[in-house]
Amino acid sequence: MELKSRRHTVSDLAGAIELCYTNGWTDGLPVVPPTAERIEAMLEAGGLEPGHELAFIENRQVSVTAEKVAINAVMAGCKAEYMPVIAATVEALADPLYGYHGPATSTGGAAVFMLVNGPIAARLELNSGDNLFGPGWRANATIGRAVRLVMRNVIGTLPGELDRSALGHGGKYTFCIAENEQNSPWAAFHTTRGFRADQNAVTIFAAYAPHQFSNRLSATPEGVLATACAHMKISAGSARQPQYAMVFAGEHQTIFAKAGWAREDVQRYVFENTKNTVAELKRVHMLAGELAAEDEKTMYTLVEQPQDLLVVAAGGRAGVQSAFIPGWGGKNGSQSVTREIRLP
Amino acid sequence: MAIQIYDPTTEVADRHIAFVRRPQSLKGVRIGLVDNTKHNSDQLLLRIAGILERDHGAKAHLIRKKKSAGAAPHAEIVEEYKANCDVIVAGVGD
Repeated sequence: MELKSRRHTVSDLAGAIELCYTNGWTDGLPVVPPTAERIEAMLEAGGLEPGHELAFIENRQVSVTAEKVAINAVMAGCKAEYMPVIAATVEALADPLYGYHGPATSTGGAAVFMLVNGPIAARLELNSGDNLFGPGWRANATIGRAVRLVMRNVIGTLPGELDRSALGHGGKYTFCIAENEQNSPWAAFHTTRGFRADQNAVTIFAAYAPHQFSNRLSATPEGVLATACAHMKISAGSARQPQYAMVFAGEHQTIFAKAGWAREDVQRYVFENTKNTVAELKRVHMLAGELAAEDEKTMYTLVEQPQDLLVVAAGGRAGVQSAFIPGWGGKNGSQSVTREIRLP
Repeated sequence: MAIQIYDPTTEVADRHIAFVRRPQSLKGVRIGLVDNTKHNSDQLLLRIAGILERDHGAKAHLIRKKKSAGAAPHAEIVEEYKANCDVIVAGVGD
């Protein structure tokens, strides 16, 4: 296996870590020095040749090779067996439906939300439970970080340059979770995208930060979703009709399961109960234009269609919290994309 | 003990890009305007076209809207620009 990237010689481990800082290759945290042995192990675990092009980012005219992805995955602290997930995610970044340039560059400051489904999630010990979006799990922490380092180092998505996020959010360090398929009231998410339950897949979504809501006063789906809808009606990107992810944690999952609510029931309810009048959206300056009499009666939906609500089961078994995650922009700019994770 | 690490960044490859020659004057040219979909983008571009026509002798303008601010202009409008315009004004309005 021949690696073609430029090499740098340093005196010791500390010097290697410092060189990565000096050269602007990190996200602000220390990285694992990318040595030949580690990079080759990463490529072998992915079944990839170094020169294999995983993605071509059209707007930037950048070819993303397996070698560069492996180097960044090493730096992020990934185990070699994570490589197939990272490779599939990088492939998805280049999908025209995802529209890399918009969400990566925009002042909106979206992160790449990653949802992993299939048997690989448990095998890699990807967290789908307690402290879902927080720290504590190597796979969650480093797989998302590897993708961000690829964006930074290979595709040139540098803050203040081709990443012009006004605020950004913590998910830009890592934003990778698994679905709790075992306890979910619904079929695994990737089966809604045409995959079999026993296949492995990753779904990516250009996303703002999770917005948490609590409902401890109701034990019905309508009650939980009434709270969710109240929070969602005027939320980031409302008037541009992006997709939204909805992540329901354990106690809320149980409520849907007991009531026999399908994923489609949740989508339909939220679609119907997050509509605003055009007048309301104009009053809060989320739609342009002068108020017209008919605006008080004209309804405007949060998303284009119920299927644009990506309903996911994940989070701690205890607790009355769930979250929604608004997508970046509108669907004409970026949509969620699901890719199979291929194992060698 | 010295260690060797590998560069994680894209290494620049030489590439030739052919640019169209810039016009010597805007007199008599047809202006293409690329509306990037942002609020007021069209207003800004139409004002620019007005100045180019009034003060610099451009003879006409054509404005078309992209599908998304983050995407390149789609093939249909590129063909319209090629058929009907001599110069293009593209900018980000917001």
